[in-house]
Amino acid sequence: MGASTTWKERLSNQIPGNLAEEIDTFETQIHLRKQGKMEEKLFAETRLRRGAYGQRYDNGQRYDGSKTQQLAFPEHETKGPDTIWHAPGMMRIKIPFGGLTAEQMEVLANLAEEYSEEILHITTRQDFQIHFIHIEDTPDLMRRLAAVGITTREACGNSVRNITACPLSGVCRTETFDVTPYAQAVMSFLLGHPDCQDFGRKFKIAFSGCEHEACGLANMHDMGGVGVVKTIDGEERRGFKLYVGGGLGAVPHQAQIYEEFLPVEELLPTAQAIARVFARLGEKKNRNRARIKFLVAKLGIEEFRRLVREERAILPKDSRWTSFLDDLTLTDEEPLKPGQALNGTESGAEFTEWCRTNVYQQRQEGYVVATVALPLGDITSHQLRALADISRRYVKETARTTVEQNIVLRWVSETDLPQLYSELVALGLAETGAGTIVDVTACPGTDTCKLGIASSRGLAAELRKRLGEESARLDEAIEGLRIKISGCFNSCGQHHAADIGFYGNSRKINGITVPHFQVVLGGQWKENAGSFGLATGAVPSKNIPEVVARLAKRYVEERDKDEHFKDFIARLGKREIKSMLEDLTQVPTYEENSWYYQDWGDTREFTMDDLGKGECAGEVVSVTIMEIAAAEREVFEASVALDEGQLPAAWQGAFNAMLRAARALVKEEFYDVPEETDVVVVEFRSRFYDSELFSPKFANYLFAAHQDPPAEFDQIQVHRFIEEAQLFIEGAYTCYDKIAVPAEGTTA
Amino acid sequence: MQDLERINVKFYLADPNALSAEDTFRIFNNWIQTTTDEVLIDVADYSHVPEGPVTLLVGHEANYSLDNGHSEPGLLYSRKQPAEGDLAARLENAISSALKACQRLETEPSLENNVLFRGGDILIIANDRLNATNDAEGERILRSHLEPVLTRLFAGASFAIKRDPIPQLRLNLRIHCETDATAATLLKNLAA
Repeated sequence: MGASTTWKERLSNQIPGNLAEEIDTFETQIHLRKQGKMEEKLFAETRLRRGAYGQRYDNGQRYDGSKTQQLAFPEHETKGPDTIWHAPGMMRIKIPFGGLTAEQMEVLANLAEEYSEEILHITTRQDFQIHFIHIEDTPDLMRRLAAVGITTREACGNSVRNITACPLSGVCRTETFDVTPYAQAVMSFLLGHPDCQDFGRKFKIAFSGCEHEACGLANMHDMGGVGVVKTIDGEERRGFKLYVGGGLGAVPHQAQIYEEFLPVEELLPTAQAIARVFARLGEKKNRNRARIKFLVAKLGIEEFRRLVREERAILPKDSRWTSFLDDLTLTDEEPLKPGQALNGTESGAEFTEWCRTNVYQQRQEGYVVATVALPLGDITSHQLRALADISRRYVKETARTTVEQNIVLRWVSETDLPQLYSELVALGLAETGAGTIVDVTACPGTDTCKLGIASSRGLAAELRKRLGEESARLDEAIEGLRIKISGCFNSCGQHHAADIGFYGNSRKINGITVPHFQVVLGGQWKENAGSFGLATGAVPSKNIPEVVARLAKRYVEERDKDEHFKDFIARLGKREIKSMLEDLTQVPTYEENSWYYQDWGDTREFTMDDLGKGECAGEVVSVTIMEIAAAEREVFEASVALDEGQLPAAWQGAFNAMLRAARALVKEEFYDVPEETDVVVVEFRSRFYDSELFSPKFANYLFAAHQDPPAEFDQIQVHRFIEEAQLFIEGAYTCYDKIAVPAEGTTA
Repeated sequence: MQDLERINVKFYLADPNALSAEDTFRIFNNWIQTTTDEVLIDVADYSHVPEGPVTLLVGHEANYSLDNGHSEPGLLYSRKQPAEGDLAARLENAISSALKACQRLETEPSLENNVLFRGGDILIIANDRLNATNDAEGERILRSHLEPVLTRLFAGASFAIKRDPIPQLRLNLRIHCETDATAATLLKNLAA
């Protein structure tokens, strides 16, 4: 108490060395940017790759209901283009396959209290997000997460994002096998992998244990794996049906089958080869066409497959490809208590209803999965901490997040359900209707997202309220339908894969902008997002609840026996649906009813003026520039070491910086250049010094230091060497400008 | 503890039902338009989450919320940016800022004088687990800085302080004073 140390000092023994160094580096980059020594676009991509995202109004402007006001932040430094330094941002926290421990839940709860306002949000990709975070708090936040084994690295930006998996993996009654260890292995392997640092856009991966359920959503991912077992030479072997090139966004693409059966031994190298092809041939300039789905569509799956196989064949062997297969039990969860049936214990109608919608019978006898349904994916610090405590007492300290923005407790002994339920009730965590029409999914939308057009969360809250009130009377036919809402066409709410989907847009009525939602029908959640819906027409936001009511009523009344909603919609036809909703598309004049001119959950008159530039795509900064910038940071750290009198470390830091910049340039021509110093220097000499692309004077600083490193160090000599290193970095930037292929060249 | 900057102060509503989420949302939006001495940025609605920040006004220096923690609604002021002065001065500053917000709500015309806060019931949270741990020593230090401020706040009236000792919680002190002083009176006491 009172020993005012820092989190860095306090947690120094609890953070793995590489993670600690990465976070220290990021903290240095924050200082450099504040001092104006790091270019804002470069810093933006850097922070995005660390999970620190922008938020609505961070351009320093906000529409107040009558006009756009400037937010008078004290200083006007930026943390990216049009992004004010002091504006609150969002921290995205990767939770691979949604797996959480009790300790991690407690730390997450603490962070939301201390750096935000006690709210944590679960995303449609099993991440956590904490909003309203100050950029200068992010290094400590990352350290506290790292100390419990969580990284935010590559949670945003043009990188491999969180790897998701079915939350029932390992306990599912219909899975082929538990995909958890494979998801974990791919995550560990690709995190920070050099082959994944030069994408033009993000890359999302998902795993599912079976074909027919929705849990993994393999069909809508850049790469998706569905567990398959095949008998080869009389032996049962595990593999994956591998999908590639799927994605939602403004233009959804169904993934294509890359391989019907990819042996598990080939999973990691194939993922690596796909990453290399994507990095090499993917679009870099036009971010709207930079996802891998466009590359697969452009090349065709056969050619794409040929290129990946060709790449796979030349990959240098890596022991990590198969080492994880030696122990696939590392991610296994075990029960805390013996599995016992409930044996008909009565605990009231509400408990029975909760069991009906929120409890899933595991394949392991006597055990169930209990879903904690979270309205809009939100949970308070107090609730999450209490849930951690519950996980200690009922299961073995684990839980998983889901893509439907809920949390599941697995391995609950069935006999514990009444007591568990009563504890969840006391915490306000016992909402029924998990996985039903009431459990509406929504992206952050206009609440916090810079790209949000209409209030997806406001609409979701309204629908949830209305459907919840009617839940007891809801017909069985519609109970299982899914509603998913995105605030814009970018599909973060996964509206394409819903039975009834909506995405935000707007229409001008007599010169005044009115919030609308496009109605998207015919999607399919099951079968790993087996089909995507199509837009049917835009309806004013305030009429959307009536759209849902009419569709539901019509389906209940007119469906054929066992007819799925998707088939019913197809049978009804677009013309008929449009006609059915026609009157709801009408907007009264402002004078007649101004309510239509406000969005759900907002008291201001609607506007599009708050729309900002999205950071979802990140900033396209070449990996070479990123590396040269990293080398420049190393020179800075060398100068700090010099100030502290650490002369050998300072000299070595400056030398390493030059070497790093040289290697970055060499990689432009020789991608797989080894890291050995001698090789890098030789390659650099032949490619850039001999060709006079690099300043000979500056290049000689590297050659001299490499050939004749000092045996002893003195202050003046090291000081001079650091200055030489800085000049070498300048030379690297200049050289890159000469050799860089214009971004247009990457398109074809 | 001397470095403690993140300080939360909560005053509780006399009538728990007097302030709705909808009214607070509207009023907080209005504050963004009319406040000039600090940067207020946005309002967020969390009314769907029980026992949380029902309505949150996000600012640069501090956040304000209609907070329903432990089902006891009140106005929560959360200081984020460093304030001037020593710890006692920063505690006073946070209490004063919370009281000004309470006073603003009490005198908000659209609420027709229906909103009142209990002046003698305050929650103080040291929102920083690094600099303030929730133990007896933490309590002793925080009290030593806080008590002189409270003596002035309550104009010499006696008060009681209680800490919830659950170690996972942030260092917290709940203050009770037998007074029916309004926010305006308490602000005058502090200024005296």
